[in-house]
Amino acid sequence: MARARIKNRIRRLRFDHEEMTQEELASRAGCTRQTIIALEQGKYVPSIELAFKIARVFEVTLEEVFQYEELN
Amino acid sequence: MAPLQRRALYSLLIGIVCIIALIMIFITRGDITAFDEDQGFRLIVYALWIAVPLVYLIMVNLTLRKPEQIDERDKLILAKAPKVQYVSVLFSLVAWTIALTEVYREQGQIPVIYITLIMISTLIIGTIGQSLGILIGYWRGVSHGQG
Repeated sequence: MARARIKNRIRRLRFDHEEMTQEELASRAGCTRQTIIALEQGKYVPSIELAFKIARVFEVTLEEVFQYEELN
Repeated sequence: MAPLQRRALYSLLIGIVCIIALIMIFITRGDITAFDEDQGFRLIVYALWIAVPLVYLIMVNLTLRKPEQIDERDKLILAKAPKVQYVSVLFSLVAWTIALTEVYREQGQIPVIYITLIMISTLIIGTIGQSLGILIGYWRGVSHGQG
């Protein structure tokens, strides 16, 4: 089975949305600020539910926030 | 630092302090026969025995009772922490078995008081292992659907 990783553009999207704070994103997505920090550092892959909630906060599709990459 | 992470750290530190206190008590008050004969000694050890899991329960429950302080990541870390607990308890039991077998090989029997001590150490190490598991989860990171 090929190894894979899930990357995200949360930091970029926060910047594009009037520099939304991690606290605000966390509050709107229904998680803690520490989870947003872990996501941005690539130390956490969220559940599908949280991934959709984050995408909705930014009003974009799931693929615009999270990218699935297969590693060789 | 996440609230659960902070409390697991405090719990771990208190657990380590209690273990050091237990070892110091054994060194200063005597050997295993003193534990068997001295009621005051036993009461101190029993108090520390109860203190470690109690501190852990209070610390972690304080976080779990506040839903705004905990989310899916914290719950996932909490769910995976028993792996570390299991391994640490297993290693402690292996260490006890090897040590007691080697020390009491000649006599062919082990003092019954060791049953209490093994139970005490298992409970304390289990509690510390759970705290350690939580801290490792935060340090290494966790992912849904991966391991």
